[in-house]
Amino acid sequence: MMIDEAKKKEILDKLKNGVIQYDEDACKEGAQEAIGGGMDANEAIFDGLVAGMEEVGRLFEAQEYFVPEILMCADALYAGLDILKPHCKQMDLGVKGSVVIGTVEGDVHDIGKNLVKMMFDVAGFHVYDLGRDVPLDKFVEEQLRTDSELVCLSAMMTTSMIGMPKVIEKIKEKNPECLIMIGGAPTSKELADKWGADGYAADASNALKEAIKMVSFLKKLRDEKMQKQ
Amino acid sequence: MMESGALKEYLKNEGATLIGVGDVTRALTGEIVHLNRGISIAVNKNLNTDTIGLLLKLQQLAVTWLRKKGFKALLIPPDSDRKVDKFISKLYRLVSHKAAATCSGLGWIGKNGLLINREYGSKLTWGTVLTDAPLETDRPVSESECGDCELCVKHCPSGALKGYLWSMGDPLKELVTYEKCRSLKEERTVLSGKPNCGLCSMICPYSRNGSCRTGSGVEN
Repeated sequence: MMIDEAKKKEILDKLKNGVIQYDEDACKEGAQEAIGGGMDANEAIFDGLVAGMEEVGRLFEAQEYFVPEILMCADALYAGLDILKPHCKQMDLGVKGSVVIGTVEGDVHDIGKNLVKMMFDVAGFHVYDLGRDVPLDKFVEEQLRTDSELVCLSAMMTTSMIGMPKVIEKIKEKNPECLIMIGGAPTSKELADKWGADGYAADASNALKEAIKMVSFLKKLRDEKMQKQ
Repeated sequence: MMESGALKEYLKNEGATLIGVGDVTRALTGEIVHLNRGISIAVNKNLNTDTIGLLLKLQQLAVTWLRKKGFKALLIPPDSDRKVDKFISKLYRLVSHKAAATCSGLGWIGKNGLLINREYGSKLTWGTVLTDAPLETDRPVSESECGDCELCVKHCPSGALKGYLWSMGDPLKELVTYEKCRSLKEERTVLSGKPNCGLCSMICPYSRNGSCRTGSGVEN
């Protein structure tokens, strides 16, 4: 059964507003309707759920939303994503798309890491989540094992951040092509440059913004690709 | 200030045993300090009903009520129903139901470390809803009303209770050696498969009052 444009827009709005208003039930309902109506799952994710998260990022910058609202929005997004994900076609963007992510040894703070992970999930990346308090060598091993093109290191505390340059050096030594992103309160653009990391985000909200930027970019690529077809 | 009588009435009709509103600013950390009104909801523990289910339903109703009026609301579920795999669950431990209940004037923290209400003792299950709605607040309870009573301290099988009187002005005073309480529960889990102790709750004279009054099934 195919649905008309009006119904499609209604479903996309429901997904988008479900995320913005952190309404898990609305997101689940919208996702079910999208699948039931034969909609493209990728479209429902990007033009529904991710569009909502983009607005959430804006509300956060405008200081209308704070950390609890962002977390509830993220939960609502996942409620929809869990239903849509199995119906997704693999996006062909010319990248294989896998990422190793974790919070470095000595650190148990993982809200920022989990938000970034969410955006990778949304973007269709294969995410190897090592969790928190991860021994430094584990990042290197996992990158080699999975041949991921991206490694994300997170730390909330200065004392655990000092392990980062060692990991970056080891990974770059074995695999210079691999991109590395560092994040967390004590990190900075200067440190990222000094240690040879390719990207950086200061905190959960910034990481989210960076990740949204990345996903928005992927979305643009996808739209351009669809136009060509 | 926003009148809070209507919300209280509504939740009572839906089955809440007690409900109070407090200014919880003092008990919050930076991430959530914008949600400085705590709505404390209690349901009387009853063996043959789904207490947790009812409490969650009441909290959800409060959230919907507030959000319809354009306010933010954050539901902190009862301690025994916390899904750890959610983003928002990271913030749950930043909020103490007991602190919210004292701020809302519904009781004090007893020598047994539990929230004690004058009428129901420590046999209530608590949930909290935080909001930025400027609801009028109830008068907080700031001092313990345990007095000289030491029944729970004397009867605790693990000797975990120190016998101190709680005061809102000294929230960091440790009333219970949780290590001792926990190890007893672990021991019992090994023996019987259940951690249940609860003696300090049962023996409290305020709790026994409550059980007489509500055990007969007559609500007043």
